[in-house]
Amino acid sequence: MTMLSEKNPLNRTTSVAIKIDKVNKWYGTHHVLKDISLDILEGEIMVVCGPSGSGKSTLIRSLNHLEDYQDGVVSVFGQPLSRDRKSHDVIHNAMGMVFQNFNLFPHLTVLQNCTLGLTWLRKMSERDADKMAMQLLDRVGIAALASRYPGQLSGGQQQRVAISRSLAMEPKIMLFDEPTSALDPEMVKEVLDVMVDLSKTGMTMVCVTHEMEFARQVADRVVFMADGEIVEVGPPEQVLVNPEWDRTSEFLRHVL
Amino acid sequence: MDDFNVKNEPALKQFIATPPRLPPKNERGVIGTILHRCFNSIGNSVLTLCVAVVLFYLVKHILDWAVFNAVFVAESRRQCMALSADGACWAGVISWFNGLIYGRFPMDEQWRVNVGVLLGLMWLLPLMSKRIPLRNFILLSWIGLYPFVGGYLFLGGRFGVELGLVHGTMTCFALAFLVMLYMNWVLSALGYKGVNEWFLPLVSRWAERRIHLMSFIVVWVLITFGVSLGLSHVSLEPVAIERWGGLFLTFIIAGFAITMAIPVGVVLALGRRSKLPVIHWISMIVIELVRSVPLITVLFMAVTLLPIFLPADMEFNKLTQVLVAVCLFAGAYMAENIRGGLQAIPKGQYEAATTLGLGYLHTMVLVVLPQALKMMIPNIMTSFISLLKDTTLVSIIGLFDIMLMARNIANDKDWVGLHTEPLVMISVLFFILCYSMSQYSLNLEKRLKVDH
Repeated sequence: MTMLSEKNPLNRTTSVAIKIDKVNKWYGTHHVLKDISLDILEGEIMVVCGPSGSGKSTLIRSLNHLEDYQDGVVSVFGQPLSRDRKSHDVIHNAMGMVFQNFNLFPHLTVLQNCTLGLTWLRKMSERDADKMAMQLLDRVGIAALASRYPGQLSGGQQQRVAISRSLAMEPKIMLFDEPTSALDPEMVKEVLDVMVDLSKTGMTMVCVTHEMEFARQVADRVVFMADGEIVEVGPPEQVLVNPEWDRTSEFLRHVL
Repeated sequence: MDDFNVKNEPALKQFIATPPRLPPKNERGVIGTILHRCFNSIGNSVLTLCVAVVLFYLVKHILDWAVFNAVFVAESRRQCMALSADGACWAGVISWFNGLIYGRFPMDEQWRVNVGVLLGLMWLLPLMSKRIPLRNFILLSWIGLYPFVGGYLFLGGRFGVELGLVHGTMTCFALAFLVMLYMNWVLSALGYKGVNEWFLPLVSRWAERRIHLMSFIVVWVLITFGVSLGLSHVSLEPVAIERWGGLFLTFIIAGFAITMAIPVGVVLALGRRSKLPVIHWISMIVIELVRSVPLITVLFMAVTLLPIFLPADMEFNKLTQVLVAVCLFAGAYMAENIRGGLQAIPKGQYEAATTLGLGYLHTMVLVVLPQALKMMIPNIMTSFISLLKDTTLVSIIGLFDIMLMARNIANDKDWVGLHTEPLVMISVLFFILCYSMSQYSLNLEKRLKVDH
């Protein structure tokens, strides 16, 4: 527990990576995000949890504009985002995302999946891109499978490829949208291990996950959401061990 | 994760997997299988025998007509009938064979068609080799450059005079490309450096970036210069487009339709899915209008209506009008095929591409279209096959394609009334073409399959 208190963001003097200010979203008349305000600090590992339908996936997908929101402002490194081309570039230069269903490109090899952005957007030479991608694949322990196609890999391997594909674009912030929910139990650990490794590099991470053990181990702060609202925010030992609200403790009884 | 501390005590029993066994063999053999499948009950035995008898009579009659009683050498239909009344008269088809293949292309110039087709095939041959880099580029070069070479060979004239200087220049570039392609291929097969690499040191003296592209262009221009020196003395007998015909013309129309169908289809399909209302509606109207009208009508309209819409001094020959019509028709059908493929691509693919930072064009070209087109190979090939067959309709508006040439045989004074044999011959020819196309598509599907 001493280790965790050392990681308390309140003791750090870091700048805000993502500032979420009074974001509201409706699906038709259904109010899915209600006045969400949250500051995510640079280098912070933020775990978002909550029951299904609580809006946690919608929230994380609003951060990189995969979902529209009708009201409120999200700023990345002090720059408020809108729907224009410039914001698009800011978002995708700063943030990478890992999805529940991996969403690898099935027609490309593992290596090509990782180098696609490098060669076409960064205009990197093929050799440099391959080298960089191989380093990343090596980091997630998949370098040996670089010439395979995603369809030939297990779920855990695919998710690790997806992580290195995102990392190839050198994002400052990584968004994880339930990265282990579609995996067989035996494969959850290999993906979580990669995420734990990543958390030690100072990467800002926002993870929607049900892996409470992961949250306890690496999160700086845990956000608990229910019915489109943030119920509790705080260090894991506070939210997960001594929750303030009955809604939180009810949820924790179900998942722990 | 520390919650489940699995015990690892030596007292636990050790699990060893059972060794895998081979599947049981089918030891019946061919005859055994036939007996087992076709004669396993009285009813089935009777059915099998009936089918066998019917098949025997059918095959016997067909063979009798087409082979055993057929006449292969005769001067006229009357002579055919005299030799064998109830057999096929292939002699007529054989004597008109050239006409069926080349239409009314002058006899002495038919080698040009052969050379043209041969060059076209040669251009595509390197695609078979896996060792050639940038194979998509070769395909693109074929689409973009080959028509100039073909056009010159088929139309003829003094080089760069009748067809204009631009066409002549492009022909030189095209031929130079082919020469360079083969030089590089042969050199790399023999284990030498490609031509382009010889110029790398020279080019790197004055260019810093993209030296590979630069040396490629330098070599291309140099060879083009050489080719143009050679070609500038060439003069071929001019052949009017009206004299093109037969299978040759069918190939030109179908080939053009097939190569243009995908680009036109992709543009229309993406347009129809566009969120911009003007683009959406224009694409939708084009697709729906062209699809709801029979091809014959589209062809007639192209020949009669198109000249009215165009400015008076713009005059196209009939073939160009037909090509435009067929291209539009093929594109509209292809657009719906491709749209089907696009809809089958999961939303996650778009999201993953967007989060990588890829824009619309990159997402489409690099991520979505390759998958959509691959998924749609069977449908696309079906469209191509029907296109090939549909092109025979151009005989109705008076282009001498293989169909019209076949009907002409019956009007020849020596072969009056010879209808069946040319049609049978065309059927066999089209079957071979279409069947090989479908086999190719199966092969392509197998090659592109990367799931397992």
